[in-house]
Amino acid sequence: MASTDSGPAVTRRAQARLGIALVAPAAILVLLFFILPLANAMYFAVIRFDGVNPNPPFVGLANFTQMLGDPVVWRALGNNAIWIAIGTAAPLLMGLVIALLLWNVGRGSLWYRVAFFIPFILPGVAIGVVWGWIYDPIRGWLNEVLRMVGLGEATTGWLGNPDTALYAVIATAVWASVGFAIVVFLAALQSVDADLIDAATIDGAGAVQRTRHVVLPQIMPIFLMVATVTLIGGFSVFDIIFVMTGGGPAGATEVLGTYAYSNAFQFNRISYGTALALLITILAVPFTIGLNRLQRRMSLYRTGA
Amino acid sequence: MPRPGALRFGAALSTVAFVAAACTGVPSGPSSAADPSAGADGGGEATGALRFLVEAPEDPAQLDPLREQITVFEGENPGITVELEAVPLDTLRTTLQPQLRSGEGPDVFNWGSGPAFGGAFAEAGLLYDLTDAYEQYEWPIYGFAKDQVTFDGKIMGVPGEMETIGLYYNVDLFKELGIDEPTTLEELTAAADTVKEAGIIPIAVHDAEGWQGGHLLSMALSSRVGGEGMEALLNGEASWDSPDVVAALQTWQDFNEAGYLPPTPTGVDYDTGNSLFFSGEAAMLPNGSWLVNDIPGVDFEVGYIPFPAPDGPGIFTAGLGSGPYISANTEHPEAALEFVNYLVSSEYGRFMVEELTVIPPFPVDTDDLEISPLYAQVLEDTSSFAGGEGEFGANIDVRSTELFNEAMWNGVQGILTGQMTPEEAAQAMEAAPVE
Repeated sequence: MASTDSGPAVTRRAQARLGIALVAPAAILVLLFFILPLANAMYFAVIRFDGVNPNPPFVGLANFTQMLGDPVVWRALGNNAIWIAIGTAAPLLMGLVIALLLWNVGRGSLWYRVAFFIPFILPGVAIGVVWGWIYDPIRGWLNEVLRMVGLGEATTGWLGNPDTALYAVIATAVWASVGFAIVVFLAALQSVDADLIDAATIDGAGAVQRTRHVVLPQIMPIFLMVATVTLIGGFSVFDIIFVMTGGGPAGATEVLGTYAYSNAFQFNRISYGTALALLITILAVPFTIGLNRLQRRMSLYRTGA
Repeated sequence: MPRPGALRFGAALSTVAFVAAACTGVPSGPSSAADPSAGADGGGEATGALRFLVEAPEDPAQLDPLREQITVFEGENPGITVELEAVPLDTLRTTLQPQLRSGEGPDVFNWGSGPAFGGAFAEAGLLYDLTDAYEQYEWPIYGFAKDQVTFDGKIMGVPGEMETIGLYYNVDLFKELGIDEPTTLEELTAAADTVKEAGIIPIAVHDAEGWQGGHLLSMALSSRVGGEGMEALLNGEASWDSPDVVAALQTWQDFNEAGYLPPTPTGVDYDTGNSLFFSGEAAMLPNGSWLVNDIPGVDFEVGYIPFPAPDGPGIFTAGLGSGPYISANTEHPEAALEFVNYLVSSEYGRFMVEELTVIPPFPVDTDDLEISPLYAQVLEDTSSFAGGEGEFGANIDVRSTELFNEAMWNGVQGILTGQMTPEEAAQAMEAAPVE
């Protein structure tokens, strides 16, 4: 009896069983909340289901061909593209610059970090509602300030003006997400080799050159990770647009996410809405894989953080 | 002592079991506070409280008068208890259907009429047929309102309160500027010009949320084509890209271009638009009879007129709010019928007028009620045309499908932002699928 509990089991089979047992909870969660819904979604996407009919007909790829011919989808894709371009580049660049500025701040850096990070943890709906008030053309804070400083001509309807609506919402989203980039970059910068920077300074490198050639390569994997997360968010963005403009005015801010929602839950076109949601997934996958590969290559090639 | 491997396996297994239980717990519906009612209830029915689900008002305190009425009902009907639940409109829209299907839903609930609301539920077989009840209890619901809850020849619900849409205007301001109450579209335009010259926003149009577009079109179009014209459009006998519809849409575009509306009306939301009128910064406000609640707070006299037609005073458009339906799966049909009967009684009608300040879908004697003169006028106008003495138009969005509404709302927003011409908007509406 004593010999059997003298230590952990070391037979291959016992190890395998232990491994499976420990992974099982996570695997079951993945199955329940990802694999099964994905399979369900793929089923919904090949039938015509309106939420009511218990025997929906099978329609093959009709939902997907409908998507290709739907002008709203193309416009939404255009809006998604704008969102991804600006909504990824802006937080990355601004985050990097602010992180670099904060890097050498000793005293009070905690307060800065907290202040910059708080917008990121605020609920998206609250952000949308309050910024909606700021953008209000008549009583909103933004137009009031513009009038006060004499830029009254720059006042516009913001969220009600189809030319500015999307950019106004992007600006809010960038405000909310730049904190994440700052905090992550600050952490990455901690492991940058200070000697290399000193050496570069002695060699006469300017600030920009130091950043580009010494600092950035060392934090590249983290940088790419933040880029990936932000980029994927741009494909599936929904809540902030839904709260601030609902996709309007007249579809000027419609993106795939809001269009999928309207179809599934307002028009009872569950299948079409699901097909649109799957499109979001399909579009996001190549970018994820590409960035992942790039990240791995970078971390092997350079001294990764 | 069990072997260590088995012990660990057992621990992992119980973890899995806990996780699975947490993920797949039975959805807990609102717990029935009332015990199975003491004493006998109407022969052979399941015991328990009657669940009544309504839309939560902005101010939760507004539910208190309703609770008092329920207490009155319970007093008159010993053996029936009613449990009131209030849920925000968005939540109601997404959870009501699944609740009804699952059998865990409310027994009586407030829901809208027309094909997009009650009609959708009737199609899904979720409603209790009330045709016999109407005959038995002789509920005096206005004919046109009853039509809105009749699907496939069967009366499936009770219509909600009546709502009209029209134009509120600042009577004092008009007097100050020497303007008479507009009785034609031309007079309205002239009035708007005068107001604009005085430096005030003529018409406080708000269209940020989008649904207001339906009201703007409804009021301009109803006055232009009359009640019969609206019915023809809603029945599909007339097409939405006809010249009248385009003209009605054009009216709003013209007003926008003439500067009668606030800057970027699609950026002005419902509350801001109303506040412009209440603060005197705007002279007129297109809105509905439900706003009568909020009017008493202002310090000027308010008038309410139908949107004028090109050749005359125009007609009010009428729509219906949310009224009680009974779930097909209810376990207390008798009690539910008694409760709905109470909601259609003249006693409750007077409560609707006095406390809820809404217009019941049935005639109510208002002589000795304490209500504002504006409200009394609105009630009188409404009951006279609802009773058949006059014409009234239709509030489009409660009579049409979601897809059509989307085309209409996008159309008006598109026109107000210059993204679409009135013709394009009308064509989009005509092309909107009916199913």
